[in-house]
Amino acid sequence: MPPKNNKGGAKAKDSSAKQENDVAKTQTVFERAQAAYDLTRPPYDKEREELGGLHALSTVEKTAYANWFCTAPDELAFLSKKAQKELWKQVNETNRPLRRGQIDKPKPDQWGKDKLGRNIGDYTVQQYEQRIEKQGQLTCLKALGRSFASKRLYASKGLVDSSTGEVYTLTEEDIKAEKQRRREMAALKKDLYGEKMGPYSTDPEWDDVVPVPQMEPEGALAAIAYPEDYAESMSYLRAVMAANEYSPRCLKLTEHIISMNPAHYTVWLYRFANIQHLDIPLLDEIEWLNGVALDYLKNYQIWHHRQLLLEHYYPTIAGSPDEVKRFARSERAFIMAMFAEDAKNYHVWSYRQHLTRKLGMWENEEHGELDSIEGMIDDDVRNNSAWSHRFFLVFSNPRYATPDSHATEADPKVPAGIVDREIKYAQAKIKLAPQNQSPWNYLRGVLVKGGRELGSVQAFVEMYVQNIGNEETEQVHSSHALEQLADIYEEAGDKEKADLCWKRLGEKWDRIRLGYWEWKRRSLKAASS
Amino acid sequence: MPVTTSLARARRKVVFKRTPAALSSARMAIMENRATDLAVDEEVVSRMANPSVRGSRLPIDALYTSEPPIIDPLVTATSTAQDQTLDQCLPLLKAADCNIEYNANGVPRLHRERHIKYLETTIGNLPAPYVGADASRPWCIYWALNALSLLGADVSKFRESLIATATHMQNKTGGFGGGFGQTSHLATTYAMVLSLVIVGGESAYEVIDRRAMWKWLSSLKQPDGGFQMSLGGEVDVRGAYCAAVIISLLNIPLNLSSDSPASAAGLADLYTGLAGYVQRCQTFEGGISAKPDAEAHGHLMCHALSLGSPPANMPQKAAFLVARTSLSMVVTATGWVHAGPLIQASLRAPSQPAHDSGPQRESTPEFVSFYDREGLIRYIMSCGQDHSSKGGMRDKPSHRSDAYHTCYVLSGLTSAQHVVSAVLAEDEYVANMAWKVSPYSDPQLFDEQDRLNPTDPVYAIPQGKREEVMTYFLSKPGF
Repeated sequence: MPPKNNKGGAKAKDSSAKQENDVAKTQTVFERAQAAYDLTRPPYDKEREELGGLHALSTVEKTAYANWFCTAPDELAFLSKKAQKELWKQVNETNRPLRRGQIDKPKPDQWGKDKLGRNIGDYTVQQYEQRIEKQGQLTCLKALGRSFASKRLYASKGLVDSSTGEVYTLTEEDIKAEKQRRREMAALKKDLYGEKMGPYSTDPEWDDVVPVPQMEPEGALAAIAYPEDYAESMSYLRAVMAANEYSPRCLKLTEHIISMNPAHYTVWLYRFANIQHLDIPLLDEIEWLNGVALDYLKNYQIWHHRQLLLEHYYPTIAGSPDEVKRFARSERAFIMAMFAEDAKNYHVWSYRQHLTRKLGMWENEEHGELDSIEGMIDDDVRNNSAWSHRFFLVFSNPRYATPDSHATEADPKVPAGIVDREIKYAQAKIKLAPQNQSPWNYLRGVLVKGGRELGSVQAFVEMYVQNIGNEETEQVHSSHALEQLADIYEEAGDKEKADLCWKRLGEKWDRIRLGYWEWKRRSLKAASS
Repeated sequence: MPVTTSLARARRKVVFKRTPAALSSARMAIMENRATDLAVDEEVVSRMANPSVRGSRLPIDALYTSEPPIIDPLVTATSTAQDQTLDQCLPLLKAADCNIEYNANGVPRLHRERHIKYLETTIGNLPAPYVGADASRPWCIYWALNALSLLGADVSKFRESLIATATHMQNKTGGFGGGFGQTSHLATTYAMVLSLVIVGGESAYEVIDRRAMWKWLSSLKQPDGGFQMSLGGEVDVRGAYCAAVIISLLNIPLNLSSDSPASAAGLADLYTGLAGYVQRCQTFEGGISAKPDAEAHGHLMCHALSLGSPPANMPQKAAFLVARTSLSMVVTATGWVHAGPLIQASLRAPSQPAHDSGPQRESTPEFVSFYDREGLIRYIMSCGQDHSSKGGMRDKPSHRSDAYHTCYVLSGLTSAQHVVSAVLAEDEYVANMAWKVSPYSDPQLFDEQDRLNPTDPVYAIPQGKREEVMTYFLSKPGF
């Protein structure tokens, strides 16, 4: 053991060493190299450099400098033996350090730049040591990754490990460890070089896929600065699509891309192809889809996808009325959830029409579709989408309607009772808000379908229109009623009255459509002349 | 039960209580206007007859600055939305916004330079949040190029970039996807073809691989006469319209390729059953829906008309500038007006037979339009323009401007500024695509410097571009 006083001395020494060490840590890499370089040359060389030339040195220093300069091995060879001897003599007298030539003069940028464009030479020594350590880690991880890749290759070929005599197998743990390594490598690469490794290039599951990046041509129009995640996943999508791959990993990839860009029709179509090939249970897909649909209310692709799913799934339940009913119920429940957000969403309504046809949801007793629509019209009697669906539901019912009967032509097969019911329904709704165009259009549509004359509702229409043309007593509570009245008069051949109604529409009750009313008037005149 | 206007006010009071701040100014505006209702008309008429009158602003017809004469008291979600829109629009229509410069007719100026600047940014480099538009870049390009052309900006400077972009998005199997490596789609192909036609020139036309396009279209053709939007995609009226535009502009041979599903089903050619398909999309309301069984929608109406198959009973809906019945007023509807002249042209034709002035006759309209041109111009200039330095056009004052609305609202504006007259060749008036677009000759509400270039009513591209491309491809035998 060292004596006590020595111990104190050692402590002092320690702390001074520590101090030196601290200085070393705050010093930059370049400064440290410069300092080391300075140790290898005489002070007058440094002085000469700093002052900008030999002229600033004293005569003695100039001589010493020239001698020192010439002691470089290459220079010495040019001197005669005698001259060399003389030179060494002088050099010894100036007591210069004999270390020249071992260190090159450092340049500030010789360590390169980091990911932020900063000179690594400007790193503190401590920072630099950390960097070196990370690079070391990365090299180790790469080596381990290579051995994983070899093992995977051997395993795929069924090779035998000669050291154990067993067939190479890749365990779940191996894969887990590799995934962990990739994550660490990605973090290190990002940290050291700013290289981004997305979730696919770091996932060993995707090692066999060579991504196809999007190379935009020079000056491309409407070019988007893609987020890295999106750009990477799209590169992998292009690759797997080109290879016609259908697999669970592709399904996951489409889900990922859809979460970033749900309007990407290509991804949706490819997703459906995967679902077909993998025979994914419909309900799983629907459940996922519901969430996406509620997140992106205006999206179109979601609803086409749902329709494709329906087409794909229906044959499997077609034989069981109960299952069809259950599916119809759950689909409608979701549709209604969508309508709670936007009761006129065109895509959802289109899907509802398709669903109604496909599942045969025509009969109210069985499916309650008509009740559901009535509920929506009760909520907002101006919801034209609901009216439109009702028309479809009532007049396309295959139980009685003529198949493919056009929406604007009479269908003699529709029972009179149904036509009467619909006329009454429309009239009851007109009463709630006579200027609401939807039930008026509906009423007209019903009359046409039922092959009834417009005049059959004249008394009803006249409840909303009185004394047309009489300035004092004219009353119009609905411009749609006035229009309908005009058409009733035209139908009955009462051209003057029809003309008067259109005239009054253009003059007062619906001026914004003056051009249209005038056209009606002229057409009628032209037809009669 | 029936109600009168005074009852209608009662309803507005209900709404008023809900959102007092939004309604107060609009309500006051309505009151003022109603007071001067009768005095206005004559002055406007005399003003319109004599456009040289300048100086102090003339009163605006109350038709454009007040509510319609009949309003139901019943409040529903639809009426609330309509009221809100009305309240945003009325102060602008009344020329009451002191930040906007109005002309003597109370119409704001067209912010032409701002719109051009804005449109150019929409096809420049787009930041990351535009990733949602990654599948519709051809649309962005078409909207901007078409709108720029209508505004009179030079689009030929985009030719080289467009050629590079289009080449990159074209698939070897025919058609254009929304971007590199994306499945070909009729909508994006339509947009890209129109873009190439707008910049024009042989080098742009020659980007299109017409043989591959023909094969691809054949594979999309369905046994029911319609077109799938993409392989495995939906079948709807848009497909019919886009396909017909592409086929006719590029002079694509009509016969079906041997591997077409429609060919297997016995269809004769690419057009077989197309008109029938579109007619099946007509609804009881008279309009056109996206698919058979669905609700009528104004946008789709235009597509159908442009196909030259005006459905029966069409006049019923022809004059209504609403997207869907009872849907809140949207300016997008104005864009569809570009097809409006077609309705007129096709309706007028049968009632005015061609015997009066020889075989080729330009119909001289006695009235100017089915729809209210003044109302449309006022709405677009006042409410449809983003009056801030951003520029661009919007759906309504509460919405942001975007390229889509800029394109279609300007199409609506130019359509309201120009008259389309069908040049009749007996009954082939639409089929042979002979029509003429020229400025209305009556006094204008807007300043002459705010006139846009005319648009082609069927193809929604600047006037003259259709003839150029058709001439080019007609001169090319085969592919």
